[in-house]
Amino acid sequence: MKKASLPLLYAACLLLVSVLLAAVPAPDLGYQVGDTATDFRLKNVDGKMVAMNDYKNAKGFIVTFTCNTCPYSVAYEDRIIDLHNKYAPKGYPVIAINPNDVQVSPEDSFADMQQRAKEKKFPFAYLQDETQEITRAYGATRTPHLYVVQKQKGGKYKVAYIGTIDDNSREPGKVQKKYAETALNELVAGKQVSQPNTKAIGCTIKWREA
Amino acid sequence: MMKHRFTILAATAILCIATALGASAQEVKVIKFDQLEQLRQSPHDTLYVVNFWATWCKPCIKEMPYFEAANQQYQDQPVQVVLVSMDAAQDMEKRVKPFVQKRNLQSRLLLLDETDANTWIDKLEPKWSGAIPATIFFNNKRKQYEFVERELTQEELQNLINKYKP
Repeated sequence: MKKASLPLLYAACLLLVSVLLAAVPAPDLGYQVGDTATDFRLKNVDGKMVAMNDYKNAKGFIVTFTCNTCPYSVAYEDRIIDLHNKYAPKGYPVIAINPNDVQVSPEDSFADMQQRAKEKKFPFAYLQDETQEITRAYGATRTPHLYVVQKQKGGKYKVAYIGTIDDNSREPGKVQKKYAETALNELVAGKQVSQPNTKAIGCTIKWREA
Repeated sequence: MMKHRFTILAATAILCIATALGASAQEVKVIKFDQLEQLRQSPHDTLYVVNFWATWCKPCIKEMPYFEAANQQYQDQPVQVVLVSMDAAQDMEKRVKPFVQKRNLQSRLLLLDETDANTWIDKLEPKWSGAIPATIFFNNKRKQYEFVERELTQEELQNLINKYKP
């Protein structure tokens, strides 16, 4: 009797351990290059809901987490517009997503987003991630933070580039390395992205306070 | 008349003293990445608390008084607070210096003059995405190191310093 209960005890312990392990949430690090990115349905500044799947002819997207309030985002606004104007005709439009919590960053309100989009005549969608779920899923940490995704045959979106636009936020005239454009040119040409990860200093995303 | 003149004299003297006292904010030293790397490699038995901030970064400014307070508190101990500005070097006169003066910052101040963060972030800390505020704590003598990429509360900062200070 005693002999039989020992393996049973082991089994019970093992079960307990595995249950406990499963209960610990895996750290949410967001996407890495090569991962499949989720589509979203978020409100655009024109009031309509926008999803990647709405763009029937797109080959991919330049998903750009950006906002009204970060000086780095503001410094890059014109360059984000240029990226869209250059790559939307090649199948890669910009979709801008404002990740900031409005309570923490009031000037990132929907009305302020509408105002900014109007002032700058954004030629692309500028969406509000009210719940911050998409921002968390992608793993964006700063603004601006770019995710270039490429549409796959099955309709999935594969992350091909994560990073910054170029090597000089402050002075567009002194840019030497256009990281995002290089990646996009390679994608458009059907090549492997040579530098799929780049980093830049940026504003931390304003997360909702618990 | 004499009384009036004395008042003006006294007021001027007070103003002079106040200005002299108030003007004692730290100088900001402009550095390149190799100098930051040198700091990171400092062999001393000292806890370095290196905070990355910018004048335009709200959460950085919010946590800055905690770093200043720690700098004051551990003045006579082997704890060194270093504030590294991510502002552009060309904003030094217009933004950084006035900010430093206004806040009368007393910690050691550096400004990292590197435009392309992609060339140096990973060398300093691969886990860092580039968002600020971010802070590194290290004591190379004791092989201690911790990196934090978020705004700290005063309590969190205190706890981290207490955890590592020699």
